[in-house]
Amino acid sequence: MNKFQVRRVRFTHPKWLAKKPRIWNYQVLGFFLFLALGLFDSPALAHRVLVFAHATGDTIHTESKFVPDSPVRQGRVQVSDQKTGQVLVSGKTDEKGKFSFKIPSDAAAQKMDLKIVVAAGQGHQGEWLLKAAAYLPEAKAAPGATPPPSSPAASASIPAAPGAKTAAVDTHLLETTVNQALERQLAPINKQLAELAVRRTSLTDIIGGFGYILGFFGIWAYFQSKRKKDS
Amino acid sequence: MHISEGVLSPAVLAGGAGLAVLGTAIGLKKMDYEAIPRVAILSAAFFVASLIRVPVGPVGLHLVLNGLLGLLLGWAAVPAILIALVLQALLFQFGGLTVLGVNTVIMAAPAVFCFYAYRPLLRRPGKPAAVGAFACGASAILLSGLLAAGALITTGEAFLQVAELALAAHIPVMIIEGIITLFIFRFIKKVRPEMLEGMYE
Repeated sequence: MNKFQVRRVRFTHPKWLAKKPRIWNYQVLGFFLFLALGLFDSPALAHRVLVFAHATGDTIHTESKFVPDSPVRQGRVQVSDQKTGQVLVSGKTDEKGKFSFKIPSDAAAQKMDLKIVVAAGQGHQGEWLLKAAAYLPEAKAAPGATPPPSSPAASASIPAAPGAKTAAVDTHLLETTVNQALERQLAPINKQLAELAVRRTSLTDIIGGFGYILGFFGIWAYFQSKRKKDS
Repeated sequence: MHISEGVLSPAVLAGGAGLAVLGTAIGLKKMDYEAIPRVAILSAAFFVASLIRVPVGPVGLHLVLNGLLGLLLGWAAVPAILIALVLQALLFQFGGLTVLGVNTVIMAAPAVFCFYAYRPLLRRPGKPAAVGAFACGASAILLSGLLAAGALITTGEAFLQVAELALAAHIPVMIIEGIITLFIFRFIKKVRPEMLEGMYE
């Protein structure tokens, strides 16, 4: 009843209404709404650095970004041998988060698995492991490298061509062309695969986290209460 | 603010872990039976705060809420933050398990510091308390940024440069956190003042 009266008074005196702290409820509601929007608006993985690398020809291209989607500018890239940790190449990403380098001859010769680490500054870092198998077939096709063992066999299998030598060159050329075309076609798919490999935060993770916290403090409270009873 | 795995040297990691263990021990000792639910709730709040993106700056930043935890929990903020960080590392891959100690220190030390620094201001009624709450939220972020920059010197990044970057990047978050801390402080003071009893001991 009292409440009712107060309400009537309020509507007749707007100045007085402004002074009432009732408005807090709306502010609080709005505040939580704002938080909720922020929570569900984004894929929620800020600050994780995703690195992706692929080879075309004798060049390895890398691309780095903060998940979900903003490039790592001026990130320090360091390419090293996975086994020994020996640094082979280092550099900086450009404005689009990209960095390319020629395959080091050591890496190609020793079939190194390349570990590509991108430091984005302020302690953010991501890495990508480029296996030797993923970039070496291209290295073989590169001019100057030792001819692949498969190409003489391939040329031998071509029956009695008038010029055996031209046939060998042709298969070689064909292989390179096909490889290049494949790389071009597969690059987006590889990139998508890399992005899929990144675990995204799901609602299950969030709710699970709450569960763990409640469980942990529940256990703590349980032991505390026992101690309280005992003493 | 979460430092990734593999960035820091073992010595820094060990130092951070030692400090985190010490802080957690003090926090658990000071945490009495009645405080446990409060610590749990705020630990959960801290856990999800990092998922709330603040759409500013080149990277997009997230909330931290360590000032709020400090304000409401004092030393008990250390175990609360530690647990939340463990779960963030496991479930969200924020930071990592080896950097857990360092990350805990980076976020919990400013919380405890702000608790003691702003307590006198927060005890006073009216405007000083509001200013204190805002400053508590904002300066906790600032201090965390500086601590992170300090930890990163050892990796060869120049301190001033990193600190400057951290400062510039965190100014929007500082303001937002200040406002949020102010809101929550005033709200709790109004509807559940007994939650603030830790401040008056």
